[in-house]
Amino acid sequence: MLSTIAIESLKRRKTTAILTLLSITISISLLLCVDIIRTQVKTSFTRTVSGVDLIVGAPSGQLNLLLSSVFNIGTPTKGIEYKSIAALQSNKQVSWLIPLSLGDTHRGFRVVGTTNSFFDHFKYGDMQSLEMAAGSAFTQPLSTVVGADIAKSLGYKVGDKIIISHGLGSVSFNNHDDHPFTISGIVKKTGTPVDKAVYVTLQGLEEAHTGPKHSPTSMLGRKPADKANEHEHEHEHEHEHDEHTKEHAAYNSEAFTPESVSVVMLGLKHRVTALQLQYQINQSKKEPLMAILPGMALAELWQIMGNVESLLLGLSGLIVICALIGLATMLLATMRERYQEIAVLRTIGAGPFTLLLLIQIEAMLLTIVSAALSLGLVAGLMSMLKPWLSSTYGLFLSSPLFGQSSVIIILLILGCTYLVSLFPAVAAYRRGLHAGLNANS
Amino acid sequence: MNTINKNNSTHSQHNAVSEGHNAVNKERNTAIEVSNLQFSYTKESAPIIDIKAWQVSQGEHVFLSGPSGSGKSTLLNLLCGTLTPTQGDISLLAQPFSALSNRQRDKFRARNIGVVFQQFNLIPYLSVAQNINAAVYFASTNVSKTAADAKLRHLLDKLKLPSHVLHAKADALSIGQQQRVAIARALINDPQLLIVDEPTSALDTDARDSFMSLLKDVAGESTMIFVSHDKAMERYFAPHCSKSELSPSTNHIKTRGDEAPKAQERA
Repeated sequence: MLSTIAIESLKRRKTTAILTLLSITISISLLLCVDIIRTQVKTSFTRTVSGVDLIVGAPSGQLNLLLSSVFNIGTPTKGIEYKSIAALQSNKQVSWLIPLSLGDTHRGFRVVGTTNSFFDHFKYGDMQSLEMAAGSAFTQPLSTVVGADIAKSLGYKVGDKIIISHGLGSVSFNNHDDHPFTISGIVKKTGTPVDKAVYVTLQGLEEAHTGPKHSPTSMLGRKPADKANEHEHEHEHEHEHDEHTKEHAAYNSEAFTPESVSVVMLGLKHRVTALQLQYQINQSKKEPLMAILPGMALAELWQIMGNVESLLLGLSGLIVICALIGLATMLLATMRERYQEIAVLRTIGAGPFTLLLLIQIEAMLLTIVSAALSLGLVAGLMSMLKPWLSSTYGLFLSSPLFGQSSVIIILLILGCTYLVSLFPAVAAYRRGLHAGLNANS
Repeated sequence: MNTINKNNSTHSQHNAVSEGHNAVNKERNTAIEVSNLQFSYTKESAPIIDIKAWQVSQGEHVFLSGPSGSGKSTLLNLLCGTLTPTQGDISLLAQPFSALSNRQRDKFRARNIGVVFQQFNLIPYLSVAQNINAAVYFASTNVSKTAADAKLRHLLDKLKLPSHVLHAKADALSIGQQQRVAIARALINDPQLLIVDEPTSALDTDARDSFMSLLKDVAGESTMIFVSHDKAMERYFAPHCSKSELSPSTNHIKTRGDEAPKAQERA
């Protein structure tokens, strides 16, 4: 009965109630959005790369190196010369090596020049290997493998030909029209920047820029001497890669020797040697290089982001508090016009505590409805913004959207509602104590 | 039995014993017993109510009059338990009402006292059914929903209210209909005590006649305290009904028995 009275009372004051509802809904939505982006960014960051022990590039700062190599964001660093790559390849601690050449785009999506070792060794999330949704890895020098989102949004299928453009803008006037790449495979969706990248062979990329060149001497990314060892080391993925190996056996993308690459990802035989090798690389006198530990770089990036997200979260929290104070003010302002109903309720047996409860139910109802609306609004908004967030910021939203923190936020808001609604509720209680038979008494 | 012992002993000749509405039975139980009752809103101010003794028997219908400011509403609030006496005792239906806790008084009121007052009787945004059911809810009696619905329809029938008004919002009704719904709400829990405070002030003469006739009909065996500042309303009460008057100067209560002029009798 009390909830019926509360609902009818709110319906009677629908204009103020709707405005209050709107203000609370917007503020809760804002807070939930900030929280979702915060948690999703963290999840997205941590699942973007795994199993890569070191990332090596020209000295530029570990964040720049991380962003350009893993997130495909920002400007790639100056290249690493082949001799340095060869030195890394011959290092006994190195199990595998993925060269990445960055700087081109295809219809706004980043183009990454690499070898088939990328598809063999790159892992994301919880050490998950890349899998092909269709086709295979590179089968010839002008092969390309596209991410799942690109295939979906541009409607690509295996066998289609694409043209890449020089530079990083979404619109480029310098297209490599004479070097069309043929899609040999489409990577299964990963929820990482891989979905938004176009992978081409280093050979094809270099030919597109400088013309054909043949250098079959190198075995980029492969360590023939350690082949058996590597297979033993990655035994668990052997079956997964069998198919790939068979399919791209005809074309050895690692055999090409590039002049330079932007970044190299390294997998080590023993992870404990990562720090030692990082030190060695950073001290290298032949060519100034910088090696970063992806985990540490991610932590640093998160720390920077963390301060901003804490600030945003705090501001959003304050906005919610303001909206709740608005709710209390609305209820308090209507108290004078409610003297009549308070008097009536008292005479039919409602105690002052019941009146207190009634006001609190009204406040809670408004907040619960606002929270429900906010959840729907945020879910809708996030699904709408999903493509934009992933293409612009490399933020991949994963399910479930609302986690433990969302539940905690809503519970906290309900707690705050209880507290702020005490002001009008106590006013009703006091009025109830002195309410006589007549509203005018 | 209605006995008023005025504070001022010189007026003791006005103390009266009057007969109840339905039966002349002096052995009936006391519905209201007030002794040494005083009430003032602040400690410093003089008492608004100062009644030595006042008794109303069960089933009695009492017409209580007094000009504005004489303390009629305050007395009713004290009888309802929405105000607590500064001094003295009130017993209702043999219960030490003023000694009960606030919570107990609220429960007692919900179960045993039906109230109809001047205006603003109903919660405007609730439907008629919701207004009446709210009284059932607060009384927390173990009446089944079916029984409560049957009772509600019976009351509406008796009060000549069409059943479609049940779903109408209270403020969509005419004043007369609102007053009848208020009576239905006051009677839904079969209260032993009915308090009616200036219920006809917003009604025209015809509506007033009709309302009073209905009220007396549905009040039945309930003890009723009918309050009005308008002495002319006395005519709706039988000569044998109690007529009490609150004095604005002394805040005392005095009772006239059956001295009401016969010409004004309507009951």
